[in-house]
Amino acid sequence: MYIQQNMSLQEKLEILSDAAKYDVACTSSGVDRKGNGIGMGNSIAPGICHTFSADGRCVSLLKILFTNECVFQCAYCQNNCHKDVRRASFTPDEVCTLTMEFYRRNYIEGLFLSSGILVNPTYTMDLIYQTLYKLRHIHHFNGYIHVKAIPGADPELIRQTGFLADRMSVNLELPTGKYLSALAPNKSRRTILTPMRMIQNGIEQNRQELIPYHKEPNFVPAGQSTQMIIGATPENDYQIMSVAESLYDKFELKRVFYSAFVNTTQDSRLPMLPSGPPLLREHRLYQADWLLRFYHFRVSELLSEDNPNFNLFLDPKCDWALRHLEEFPIEINRASYQTLLCVPGIGYKSASRIVKARRMNRLDFSDLKKMGVVLRRALYFITCSGRMMYRTKLDADYICENLLMEQQKVPRELQGLSYQQLNFFGDDVSSDYKLASTG
Amino acid sequence: MYVFICENSIEGIFTGVYDAWASRYGHRNLRLTIEEPQTYELFCEYIRVVPSPEKSQKISRAVCNSFGREVYQDICQAIMATDTKKRHRLDKADCIYRTILLGFAMHDGHQVLTALGEPYVARVFELARSTDREAHHLLGFLRFRQLKNGILASTIHPKNDVLPILGEHFSDRLPQERFLIYDELHQTAVLHTPGAPFILVDASGIRPEMMDDVSTEELQFQRLWCTFFDSIAIEARRNPKLQSQNIPKRFWKDTVELQQIR
Repeated sequence: MYIQQNMSLQEKLEILSDAAKYDVACTSSGVDRKGNGIGMGNSIAPGICHTFSADGRCVSLLKILFTNECVFQCAYCQNNCHKDVRRASFTPDEVCTLTMEFYRRNYIEGLFLSSGILVNPTYTMDLIYQTLYKLRHIHHFNGYIHVKAIPGADPELIRQTGFLADRMSVNLELPTGKYLSALAPNKSRRTILTPMRMIQNGIEQNRQELIPYHKEPNFVPAGQSTQMIIGATPENDYQIMSVAESLYDKFELKRVFYSAFVNTTQDSRLPMLPSGPPLLREHRLYQADWLLRFYHFRVSELLSEDNPNFNLFLDPKCDWALRHLEEFPIEINRASYQTLLCVPGIGYKSASRIVKARRMNRLDFSDLKKMGVVLRRALYFITCSGRMMYRTKLDADYICENLLMEQQKVPRELQGLSYQQLNFFGDDVSSDYKLASTG
Repeated sequence: MYVFICENSIEGIFTGVYDAWASRYGHRNLRLTIEEPQTYELFCEYIRVVPSPEKSQKISRAVCNSFGREVYQDICQAIMATDTKKRHRLDKADCIYRTILLGFAMHDGHQVLTALGEPYVARVFELARSTDREAHHLLGFLRFRQLKNGILASTIHPKNDVLPILGEHFSDRLPQERFLIYDELHQTAVLHTPGAPFILVDASGIRPEMMDDVSTEELQFQRLWCTFFDSIAIEARRNPKLQSQNIPKRFWKDTVELQQIR
């Protein structure tokens, strides 16, 4: 292990932001809070992105680890105790200085603080708590704070931290418990789900109390989230999405994040992924996640035991529509909001615009375009006043071919394949990766 | 046909709306424009609208009371948007006028901006959204630097006149700071001092070298920020196209981390 004394703030920041970069959540959403006129900071519900890094991901929060020293040995993590990497730790004051000065200059929307396990979980959680306490009560920071609850830490400490943070998250790490215990021997499903349940109960309790006592401090007002690594273990999309669905249903999570696995440890138990991280698969999972949260879809409608993976070439909604062509075309001027939500190319915002606007006028295709409907996807599935936009066939192969032609991303040799062929090919790709991960 | 030529500002257009209404020429026989006509049409009478605070306030109040604050805000944002001139586009001032007319004719004026089937409402909606989007972008992409005299200064080049929105956001966020946001394209600025509401001023007196007189501490934090920015990116996921899609290149020169291709 490389140990260096008296590291400069610059070096520490370099090491500890590099160590934090595989944490996905960088959202500053979910809480509306006006400035208090004394301290610094406010927060708006949709969140604000401050810049976008070279990988195109949003930078909203100062995403750092408190320390990358760690006593755990999770196989997928670049900070596990067997890895030979430069180690560093911040002090609470250093984190406060960075946060305050970056925030003043409008570089960031707040702080995202996670940490490796120094000494033991409770000790680490205590350091995080101290940092947050200083930030909130000495520096009067009123901006957004997202903090990790360290699994296995003292519950009271997690609870107290929750009153200082806006959002808390406990990482699920891997979709199923079986692989978690194999790859992360120090963690278990139980130690992860216990704090998650505790935070949920805390939020619920806070909600009950808020009405009589307005001055009561808010407990995790922006809710909790979690993340899991995709592609490190052979779970299929159906299993992953089912886990996500039950997290939304049973733990009332605000978000589940999916992180395409990047192999940084070269551990023999993990797949090599020679063609890079499974980014497209991650993208499809996010799309499906939106369908669950905003479009009233259930996982059972999108996937099944027999069809356990998403079609990589079509987004989940198009794929669903092509499998349910008997429900289309739908009439824009009459269909219910729920029905409109099922049409590829119509989002939840444009659906609600349509519902409101058609009270006044009959809508035509040019009106839809102005409302933000993506007509090149929607045109196969809708009619306006009984007419379709062009002469098209309501045929899965035909629509699929045309949809793919629109997408530049699809390699040219795949264009012209029929829908059935593509489905077959989609399975093929995922079985490919399964081989890679077991081999 | 009567053509009311209005000044391109909230006050100018609202006064135009008032004058057009009060003229009793009939809504079908008149139109509003913010542009000096290139060629004068035959059988058209051109009327120049002199902006008047009283008239504009009357319209503001009427819009607020009948349509609600949200619609009023959207209409103001539409006026703040820069009307990109393409031939088939409807004139901004005329769209505002027709939208307000429709609102008064409707049973519930609060719903006026949902009538997107009307082309002029759709245009107002589109303009308002353009301002709103750019303002939201700048809430994030704007950067302050600390000058030697302790003031936080920022220069921006927005397409639309978004300063009032930024001023409101940042004076709520940084109540104890003295700051200055300078819109170089529109030559206006927001000034804020602790304990007072922000003010909008004409910025023709600002010299560019004043904005670059930064403290030494400032450079250190800029370096720290760039370090963070570089190390937070995952090399295996590198995607410059997605990056410039998310933060359009026109914002780059006013940020710290993307200013020059380092």
